[in-house]
Amino acid sequence: MVTTEGIELTLPAGVTLPRAGLGALLWRFCRKKPLGAVGGLLMVVMVVTAVLATVLATHDPIRTDANRTLARPAGDHWLGTDHLGRDIYSRIVHGAQVSLVVGLASTLLGSVLGGIIGLLSGYLGGKTDLITQRVMDILQGMPLLVLALVMSAALGPSIPNVIIAISVPIIPRAARVIRSSVLSIREMQYIEAARGLGVGHLRIAFRHILPNTVGPFIVLGTAQLGSAILVEATLSFLGLGVPEPSPSWGRMLAVSASEYAQKAPHLVLFPGFAISLAVFGSNLLGDALRDTLDPRLRGA
Amino acid sequence: MDRFRTVALVVGLAVAITLALSIAPATSQAPKSGGILNVWHRENPPSLSIHEEGTISTVLPMSACYNNLVLFDPLKKQESEATIIPELAEKWSWQDGGRTLVFFLRKDVKWHDGQLFTSKDVKYTFDVVRAAPDAPAKLRVNPRKDWYANVVSIDAPDPYTVVFRLKRPQPSLLMMLASGYSPVYPSHVPPAEIRNRCVGTGPFKVKEYRQGEVLELAKNPDYFVKGRPYLDGIRYIIIKERGTAVAAIQAGRIDVGFPGEVSKAASESLKAAVPQLVVTPIGQNVNDNLIMNIKKPPFDNVKVRRAISLAVDRRAYIKAVHQGGALPGASMAPKPFGVWGLLEADLNKLPGYGDPAKDKAEARKLLTEVGFGPGKPLRVEMQTRAIAIYVDFSSFVIDQLKQVGVEAALKQIETGVWHPMVTRRDYLMGTNLTGIGPDDPDANFYENYRCGSPRNYTDYCSEQADAMMDRQSQELDPKKRLQLVWEVQRKLEEEAARPIMGWRVDYFTHWPHVKNLVPHQSIYNYWRMQEVWLDK
Repeated sequence: MVTTEGIELTLPAGVTLPRAGLGALLWRFCRKKPLGAVGGLLMVVMVVTAVLATVLATHDPIRTDANRTLARPAGDHWLGTDHLGRDIYSRIVHGAQVSLVVGLASTLLGSVLGGIIGLLSGYLGGKTDLITQRVMDILQGMPLLVLALVMSAALGPSIPNVIIAISVPIIPRAARVIRSSVLSIREMQYIEAARGLGVGHLRIAFRHILPNTVGPFIVLGTAQLGSAILVEATLSFLGLGVPEPSPSWGRMLAVSASEYAQKAPHLVLFPGFAISLAVFGSNLLGDALRDTLDPRLRGA
Repeated sequence: MDRFRTVALVVGLAVAITLALSIAPATSQAPKSGGILNVWHRENPPSLSIHEEGTISTVLPMSACYNNLVLFDPLKKQESEATIIPELAEKWSWQDGGRTLVFFLRKDVKWHDGQLFTSKDVKYTFDVVRAAPDAPAKLRVNPRKDWYANVVSIDAPDPYTVVFRLKRPQPSLLMMLASGYSPVYPSHVPPAEIRNRCVGTGPFKVKEYRQGEVLELAKNPDYFVKGRPYLDGIRYIIIKERGTAVAAIQAGRIDVGFPGEVSKAASESLKAAVPQLVVTPIGQNVNDNLIMNIKKPPFDNVKVRRAISLAVDRRAYIKAVHQGGALPGASMAPKPFGVWGLLEADLNKLPGYGDPAKDKAEARKLLTEVGFGPGKPLRVEMQTRAIAIYVDFSSFVIDQLKQVGVEAALKQIETGVWHPMVTRRDYLMGTNLTGIGPDDPDANFYENYRCGSPRNYTDYCSEQADAMMDRQSQELDPKKRLQLVWEVQRKLEEEAARPIMGWRVDYFTHWPHVKNLVPHQSIYNYWRMQEVWLDK
C-alpha cells in the first residue's frame, strides 16, 4: 500500500513498484549504453587518478634526475623519463589533476554563467533577449580554440587564467541551450499558474524553470568537458597554458618533447594517449547521457 | 717503343691532373655569386638597433647591414687580437704608451642612402654609445655604455682619421670594437629611426620585414668591397617553435640553424636523418645564470644569494638541461673554447660545484640562519623569457631550489618586454642567458658586474671588485692578467653576484652547400655574411 498526502492507493495484487536504487540505475545504464558506460569508467578512472595523484605517483613530478634522462620505460620509471629525467608516469598522474581541475572548473564556470544568461534572456524575452543573443552570436562566431587563445594570450599563463580563457567560449553555447529550454518551459501551464498566483519573476525563473533545465545542462557540461580538456592541452602545447614546471599533458607534448620525439618516442606517446582517453571518455559519456536524458532521443 | 712510352706518360699525366682536380678540397673552389640564403631566426628581433639591444636576436640579422671599424676575421674560428682585421678602418695604431688609439678610415664608403661615410660618423657612434656629456643623441637603452668607460674623448681631426683617447692603457678596447656589438651608425639618422630601419654601410640592405614571418635582406650593389657580397640576399625566416625549425632544416627549407638553438640532442637527430648536414660543436660565449635583484630583500643578503647558488648542482644541470652539451665555468668562458676561464681545480671549490649533498645541506643551513625554513619557506617568483631553452633551464632550477626549501613559481616573459624589465630591475629573481660580445674580461666585467652598468641586472656593486676589474684591465702582461682575471671570477662566484650555471656549447648546423660561414667561439661576431656563398 502506498500513502500519498492522506490518500490511500492500493496496488493490484502481484504488482510491485520498481525499485530505482542507484545500483539498479547504473546497471540499466550500463546495459542500455555500454559505450557510455566505458566513457563513464574512463572518467571515473581520471577523477580517481586526479584525486589520489599524490598517492598514485611514484616520484615527485618536478624532480629532475641528471643520471636518468630520456630513460625508456622500466621498473623504476614505469613510463620512462623525460629530457630532464622527470618521471613521466608521475607527471601524467599529476597532469590528470590539472586537466580535470581546468576542465571541470572552466566547464562549470562557463555553463553556470551561460546558463544564467540563457535563463534570463529566454524568460525576459523582448529587447533583452534580442541584445543578449546578438552578443552571444558574436561570441559563438569565434571558434572555441581561437577565443581561448586570445584570452589566454591577453591574461598570461596561470591556472586561474586558463580556466577563465576556456570558460568564456563555453558561455554562448550554454546560454543557447538553456534559453531554448526556457522558451518552451515558460509557456507551460504551471508557469502560467504560478504567474496567476502572483509569484515573482525571479522566483519563477530560478525556482520553477531552472530545475527543469537540469537535463540539458548535464548533457552540455559533459559534452563541453572533453573540449575543455582538449583546449587546455592545446593552450599548454602552445605555451599559453599551465606554466612550467607544473605537469600538464599538453605541455608534455610540446617544446622539448617534439625535439626528442624521434630519439625517445615515449615522451609524446603516453601524454598523447592520456589526452585521447580523457576526451574519448568524456565524449562517450556525454553522448550516452544525452540519449538517456533527452526523451526525444531515448532509445535512438 | 719510345712513342708508346710518350703516349703512356701523357695519358698518365692527364689522368693524374684530372684526379687531382676532382679531389681538390672544397675550400679551394672558386666562390659562386648569386642565390638566396635561408637562415632560421628564433623570434622577432625586439628592435633593429644593435646598440640598443643585448640579444643575438638583433645582432644576427642586422650585422650584415653594418660595418665595424675592425672585425674578427670571419673565416677564423678562434677569436683573438691576432685575428682582428680592418673593415671601415684601413689600419690603426696604438700611441702614447697605449693611451691613444688612432684609426685611419677608408675613403670609398657610402651609406645605404648614398651619403659619404666619414670620421664624423665614428665619433658620433661612440660618443652616443659611451653617453659622452656632449653626445649629439641618446640611446633609449644603452647596454654596453661601460665598455667605453675608459675613453676620455674621441676626436676626428680630419674626415678620415679618428682618435680614441683613454684614461689608462686598455688592450681590450680593440677586442670590443671588433665585436658584432660595435657597428658604426650614421650620424645623419636619429637612433629612434634605426630601431625600425637600417641605414648602414654593410654588404646587405633591409628589403622587407614582416613580423613573425621573415626579415629579408638584399645585396648592396654599392658595397665598398668589390665583388662582395656573393649572395643576392638573405632571408631570416622566423620560426618560434624549435621542433618546427629543426624539421625545416631537415627538409632543406632552412640552410642555416640559429646559433645556440640547435641542441646536442636535436643535432644528433638531424645528423642521423641527414648525414650530409654539417654540425660544428663550438663555444657560444653565452652562459646560463641566475639573476637575483640585490636591491630587493631577501637577495640583499649575501647569505640568501649564496644559499641559492649552493642549491644548484652545476654538473647535474649540464647533464640534464643540456644533455652534456655545455661546460662548467665561472664568469669567463672555460676551455677549450674560452681563454680566461677558471681551471677545474678552482671551480670545484666554488658554491654549486662540489658535493651536491654537502652544498645543499649548507644552503639549508644558511637559509635557516636568515629565518627561512620548513615552516617558513622562501617563496619567489622566477621570471624568464618565453623561449624553450630558458624554460628547461628554469624547470631544473626550480626543482633544485625546492630541495633546499625554496618555492619558486615560474613566469614567462616575451623577449620584447624582458630586456626593458631587467634593465629597470623590475624583477626579483630570474633565469637568464648572458652572451658576451668577444671572449674578453673587460667586455664581460664592465658590462655585467660593474657598479651602475645598465646590463648589471643584479645591481651587484663592490668597490673592491671594481678595483680588481681595473687592475686586470690595464695589465699588459698576459700571464699576470690571467691571474688577476681568475681572482675576479672567484670573488664574483663567492658573493653570488650572478651565479653561473654553465657555458653553452653550440651545435652549429648548416647544409654543406653553405660555404664560408665559419662559426666562432662567440655567436655574436660572424654574421657579416660578406664572404658567404652558396655552392648550388
